[in-house]
Amino acid sequence: MSEITVAPVAAKKLLDFAIDGVAMQAEDGQTVIQAARANGVDIPHFCWHPQLSVPGNCRICMVEIEQDSGDPWFDIACNMPVTAGMRVLTKSEKIKTLNQDTMQFITLNHPVDCGVCNKSGECLLQDYHYELNGAASKSRDPKTHATKFFPLSDRIILDNERCIMCTLCVRFTNEVSGSKALGAVHRGDHALIRPAEDADFNLDVYSDNVIDLCPVGALLSTELMTHARVWYLQATKSVCPGCERGCSIDVWHRKHEWKLNALDPQLNTTIDRVTPHDNPEVNGLWVCNKARDLAQLFERPRAEQAMQHGAPVELAVAIAAAAQLIAAAKKPVAMVSSWGSNEELAACHAAFGTKVSGFVKADHLPRPGEVIEDHLLIKPDKNPNRKAALALYPALPERVSDALPADTDVVLVWGEGFDSALVPSGAKVIRLDSYTHAANATADVFIPISVQTERSGHYTNFAGVVTPFEACFPVKPSIVHAATLFAALSTGSDA
Amino acid sequence: MNFPVTDTSHTLAEYRTRFGYQALEKALSMAPGDVTKEVAGAGLLGHGGAAFPAGRKWGVVKLDDGEPHYVCMNADEGEPGTFKDRWLMECVPHMSLEGLIIGSYALQGRHAFIYIRGEFDLAHRRMADAIEEAYTAGLLGENILGTGYSLDVVLYRGAGSYVCGEASAMLASLEGKKGWPRNRPPRLTVKGLYQKPTVVNNVETLANVPVILRLGAAEFKKTGTPKSPGTQMISISGHIAKPGVYEIEYGYSWEKFIYEDCGGMQNGKALKCIIPGGVSTKLLSASEIAGVTLDHNSAVAAGSQVGSGGMIAIAEGTCMVRLAAVIQRFYHHESCGQCTPCRQGMGWMERILNRIVAGGGRPEDIDQLYKIGEANDGTTICSLGDSAGYACSAILDHYRDEFEYYIQNGRSMYDGNLTVEDPFADSPFANSLAGAAS
Repeated sequence: MSEITVAPVAAKKLLDFAIDGVAMQAEDGQTVIQAARANGVDIPHFCWHPQLSVPGNCRICMVEIEQDSGDPWFDIACNMPVTAGMRVLTKSEKIKTLNQDTMQFITLNHPVDCGVCNKSGECLLQDYHYELNGAASKSRDPKTHATKFFPLSDRIILDNERCIMCTLCVRFTNEVSGSKALGAVHRGDHALIRPAEDADFNLDVYSDNVIDLCPVGALLSTELMTHARVWYLQATKSVCPGCERGCSIDVWHRKHEWKLNALDPQLNTTIDRVTPHDNPEVNGLWVCNKARDLAQLFERPRAEQAMQHGAPVELAVAIAAAAQLIAAAKKPVAMVSSWGSNEELAACHAAFGTKVSGFVKADHLPRPGEVIEDHLLIKPDKNPNRKAALALYPALPERVSDALPADTDVVLVWGEGFDSALVPSGAKVIRLDSYTHAANATADVFIPISVQTERSGHYTNFAGVVTPFEACFPVKPSIVHAATLFAALSTGSDA
Repeated sequence: MNFPVTDTSHTLAEYRTRFGYQALEKALSMAPGDVTKEVAGAGLLGHGGAAFPAGRKWGVVKLDDGEPHYVCMNADEGEPGTFKDRWLMECVPHMSLEGLIIGSYALQGRHAFIYIRGEFDLAHRRMADAIEEAYTAGLLGENILGTGYSLDVVLYRGAGSYVCGEASAMLASLEGKKGWPRNRPPRLTVKGLYQKPTVVNNVETLANVPVILRLGAAEFKKTGTPKSPGTQMISISGHIAKPGVYEIEYGYSWEKFIYEDCGGMQNGKALKCIIPGGVSTKLLSASEIAGVTLDHNSAVAAGSQVGSGGMIAIAEGTCMVRLAAVIQRFYHHESCGQCTPCRQGMGWMERILNRIVAGGGRPEDIDQLYKIGEANDGTTICSLGDSAGYACSAILDHYRDEFEYYIQNGRSMYDGNLTVEDPFADSPFANSLAGAAS
């Protein structure tokens, strides 16, 4: 985590300086762009990134330094340390000209095919074009051509014509993910980003971060490609349940006002993409590819019908039957989900008290081939909230029979990852699950519950950091939230 | 330097007959700081093009900072028209090698590097042989000449990039990375090769060091001008009667050099203009060099630089539009592609110039060429981006009328005006060369 956590800053010497005539203070050693951001001034930049090295190659952050005597000095804000008394100008006439020149250079061979570009709408080049350039290209010569749709990996395609050679992606693989899978080949305006010969970008489990990093539409997700325009999408803050790190993420889905009526209404409640949400305490600015693929996890075939012995029943009937089973049970046991939110776990604990003995199970185990743990974010436990569950209930022992003695008469299985065969014969099984499983039909009572994207709550990660998530989609009437259900099943209530 | 160039003049034995390695012995008997003081006192200027005082560069490195120091010899001579370093390495490799050893001793380096241009064949072999000879003679390796000072030299061949002649790009290439220049700060003398203090000196600069040590700073300063002491190797090519490498004393008359020493222009043609120190320096017309002497102050006052000493004489009748296109093709090809203005600007300028040459020029093209050059000035990571713009704008400054004529008429003002003798007409390989060309 040393790459991400901000080192505790010892009281550093403060330097007085000024940007555009406004007096400000900077820490000793800060560059102009860092100090400007710390003071709320945004200096345009393509290649600079707060957590990556400074190549200074885009030249759009050029600023003017006023001198007491003689000509002003021009340099890039990203590489110039602040000195005491420095007077920085970011909007002088000369800087405006330089910015416009640089934008002319950057768009010189860029295809400006915004109409068909997936980045359109969230593209830095578009923003800066309107902000800093605003003029048509001064070139009357044909643009250079380069490779289109070059597959960097199975997940990412590269459009070399759109690339502005900021090398953010190269530096990300060198400095953050460590795969060193990308590099630049050739020179001049023929220079291309290419995979390294001795590395495989497919093996970089953080590869999709380069799509977010790319300031233009050069690196594209094969998933989102021609799938949605970003202005139809909204981001909902959420937490990745992929492992006990609990990375903060933004789940992008269709805006309410842009519902697709003509197409499959299912598309209105699907995850279009997942991006990291800056959270210095947990994940910083990155997430791994598992988070990007949450759609595959949440959009598995859903269980939407309550059942008794496999026969469809009304939701209320199933809840009543379950309540009756628990109320009548002498020795009920609950298999507590490690995917439940803090609120649901509290509701479970409040509802059953000491009447039902609970054990925390691992809903998900690492999938074959999945990275168990690494230097950056990925943690070995592939469940988001085991830490909070274990605060209330003990872990399910390795020998499951220790938790389920022969005289157990009711077993409540909450969530996935528990084999009904382990239940002692004669015991009744109540299953709460969100997805279609064969075991659902064999349960005495099955009740469909909501998934994370349909409710709000909090997860507590392995380090004890509590992060909230919000509901993205409405829940169907045939599905119940686990917290509501536990209140209904409460042993205190009469069912 | 005054010796006949023979088949064996590059060897250690013959170098020893010309005071070879006497300066090293003297230097090793001095304190390292005193060696630097001597070089600084001599006012030795860098001969790679920027003319930064070598002694001051060495003086920046702190001997007691506990870090390894490196001295690198920049033998990646790629500036078009420059071939003085190649001559030095082919004919007197020991001279710069001795300078490199002295420089490393002055900075207390344990390893020194020679980054040699990949296209150099004989120069590379001669330099490699010289290093072998020096090792055998105990001038390199452990405990040099019994003084307890040890130094190893690494000879590294470049892979054919002009930009790698820029010091920070050269160090990146030495480290095995792509030869991309790096932003300053930090300076290379603070964080250079492998992030350690590094001094990069040109071959000719280092070749001057033994002379300074042997003669002493005061004696060395007697040659040249007060501001530019010593001599400069000039490699002259183009439409000149006697092209080649010349060593001149700073302060030498430029006209005398061209018209007497080099025998004037080929076929007695008139001189049109001169590119003084590699194509990156601004060219001077024939009239502008009148009264100018070959030293840094005088050249700067005339509006150009001594640069790398790669002089190109251009005869009257040469089409400057085509010349500009050729120069720009070079910059486009060699731009490293790292920072935006040079990466895009060089190709843009070349496309405009090519279009003009093909007869499709537009009147606004001239202003656009100026603008691209200006947008490159001071906005790039390394100085090669700036100077690439200067080359074209200097030609435009002097010969705007030629461009205007070409754009208006779709053809050069000078078509058919220049006849140059086949330089290989008398060569015994003339026939095979003609065959190869066709």
